[in-house]
Amino acid sequence: MISRPSLKRLMLSAALVPLASFASAEKIKIAVGHQSMCTDTYTAGIIIKELGLLEEYLPSDGDYADAEYDISWADYSSGGPITNQMLANKLNFGVMGDYPLIVNGAKFQETDSLRTLYVAGTGYNLKGSGNAIVVPVESDIYSIEQLTGKEVSTPVGSAAWGMLLKAMQDNGIPTSEYVLKNQSPAVGAANIAAGKIDAHSDFCPWSEIMEFRGTGRKIYDGSETGVPYLHGVVVREDFAEEYPEVVEAFIKAVYAAGEWVREDPMRAVTELEGWTGVEKEVLYLYFSEGGHLTLEPSIKTEWVDALKFNHGVLVTEKAIPSLDFDEWITEDYLIAAYEEMGVDYAADKAIMVDPATANAGLPAEIWHSRDGINAYETMPEFLKAMADIRSTAALVNATYVYDVETGLKLFGKTAFWVKVGDDYSTFLRKGQAEEFAAAEGGAVLSYDEAIANYMAEG
Amino acid sequence: MSIVLTLRDTVRADWKRMVLFGLLFAVLFQCLMMVALIVRFQSLPNYSEFYNWFGNVVWIVQSTPSLRDMLPIINEEWLIEIGKMNYDYGTGISEWSLNVVPTRLMVLFILGATIELCLALMRREECDRTTSTTLRAGAGLGAILVAMTNATMSWVVCCAAPSWVVGLAMLGLSVSTSLALETLGPALNLVGFGLLAATILFLAWRKTRVAPSLKGVPSNA
Repeated sequence: MISRPSLKRLMLSAALVPLASFASAEKIKIAVGHQSMCTDTYTAGIIIKELGLLEEYLPSDGDYADAEYDISWADYSSGGPITNQMLANKLNFGVMGDYPLIVNGAKFQETDSLRTLYVAGTGYNLKGSGNAIVVPVESDIYSIEQLTGKEVSTPVGSAAWGMLLKAMQDNGIPTSEYVLKNQSPAVGAANIAAGKIDAHSDFCPWSEIMEFRGTGRKIYDGSETGVPYLHGVVVREDFAEEYPEVVEAFIKAVYAAGEWVREDPMRAVTELEGWTGVEKEVLYLYFSEGGHLTLEPSIKTEWVDALKFNHGVLVTEKAIPSLDFDEWITEDYLIAAYEEMGVDYAADKAIMVDPATANAGLPAEIWHSRDGINAYETMPEFLKAMADIRSTAALVNATYVYDVETGLKLFGKTAFWVKVGDDYSTFLRKGQAEEFAAAEGGAVLSYDEAIANYMAEG
Repeated sequence: MSIVLTLRDTVRADWKRMVLFGLLFAVLFQCLMMVALIVRFQSLPNYSEFYNWFGNVVWIVQSTPSLRDMLPIINEEWLIEIGKMNYDYGTGISEWSLNVVPTRLMVLFILGATIELCLALMRREECDRTTSTTLRAGAGLGAILVAMTNATMSWVVCCAAPSWVVGLAMLGLSVSTSLALETLGPALNLVGFGLLAATILFLAWRKTRVAPSLKGVPSNA
């Protein structure tokens, strides 16, 4: 009888005979699976790839003096296939959102011999912005409560799916009272545009793409669930153990990618549009000052709690395997990378950006197609500028304002405007705008009405 | 023992047809899946990818310490991917695809060969109509279960990876129900092969029971 290890050696030897050249000793293969249609993964994916940041940080001395690196990047539209490719060892690193990350860790821990490690974050939104529920722009649905008895689609298994389940639970809508359909982002967006579905829940930046293209309108933002929305980096444990310095280099590259975005958001979104095909005006909502994303790779206690919460949702819905978070999550590589960069990890970890407070008082912005971005401290100034632009029929790429309630950055054209006296406030949701208007004795206006009103009244 | 001998004789006499039927079945099943995708989604495929299946399997063997882990991973390796890419958003998203998976091709080949063995055994035996119908139904159900659970289509709204339940979802079963059934795949596969095996054994058994009487001298001659 052939024992299992012997059988494996036999198979290995047989397989290696014609492929002896595979066993190249000095070459270190680094394969990364990323998602160019998921904004929150960009600092560990497309930016590092396009700027060649990993190459800058890879070790080249000591044990690595003779190392040759063979770096490859594979683009996926969701996290699931990345996990499958990591299981087959065709990818060493994977970048994905919170729910797929959990599936990744659990699927690996289900095996006898393979594991991944969650080694770094990429970015986050403390309250959960990034996921959202969108309705067709002409729909008469303005709140999640109105989804009772309606058809709602979402990419099942994604972070947006988890958010939808929690949002419905929070609002007392059991699954029996709405029809849940599974639709990919592209199909969901197309169905919203055609009015073929009552609502679609999706992850970043799909909701904003629909808003920007004028086909969809947000009725619920992920921030209302209060559960942080985060993305992160997983790496195969065997790779991390063999090449810990490479993992540290990857984390340094993630950090550098965040710095590159912060340095010049306009340059970043313009470049990213070319690399990903996602409109720069949409990306600006995420990567500009006051945008949805805080780009920072530390692993905070709150993130671990959020991941545990998400795992509970998945266990309830899909019966995924258990996940030992202590075994899976490690800060060791982060701490080592920060130390080498001379950055205080503890300080970064302690910072928690809450858009409600961080974005208070930030100016509204107009993206003029010729002059670029201009900021306006007050709403009357903003409306005056828009009135002037419209009077000359000049082109505007997009405008940005902030939701009074959550601090979330919004497209001006999708916000609900409330005029109280001579001042204006902007809201994500119609209900909140109406409540505010009733309390303050104001009136709810659309974006165009607000501009027209200002032009008429001055 | 006589059952085994009957099966051996049948296979010896019919092995060329079994191989041919197995190959045809595996290839035609891929074509059928592609036609089903094209009809269901009303669009032709616009991309294809070829993968180094052998190299990938070698790599998996090299880098997976446990044999138990290795086999399911190899089982999911693709050789060819043909599908429809949606370029409306970003750099493109695959909406649906047919994934040719060598391990599944092997299962389908075995299924095709097994069906031909059943047919060969049926051809050589006279059964009453009820028994014959029952046997055909049993073998047919077994074949359907095996074929269904070895479908390798992927539909982005249903699963992130190719799964047999995509076929069910395409037929109109709700996605959540389809996904709930996904874990039953291996069991249904086994049931399918079990039904086929039972049919084959029964046919072989009947043949061994009938055969001696044919060799005897007619008593009323």
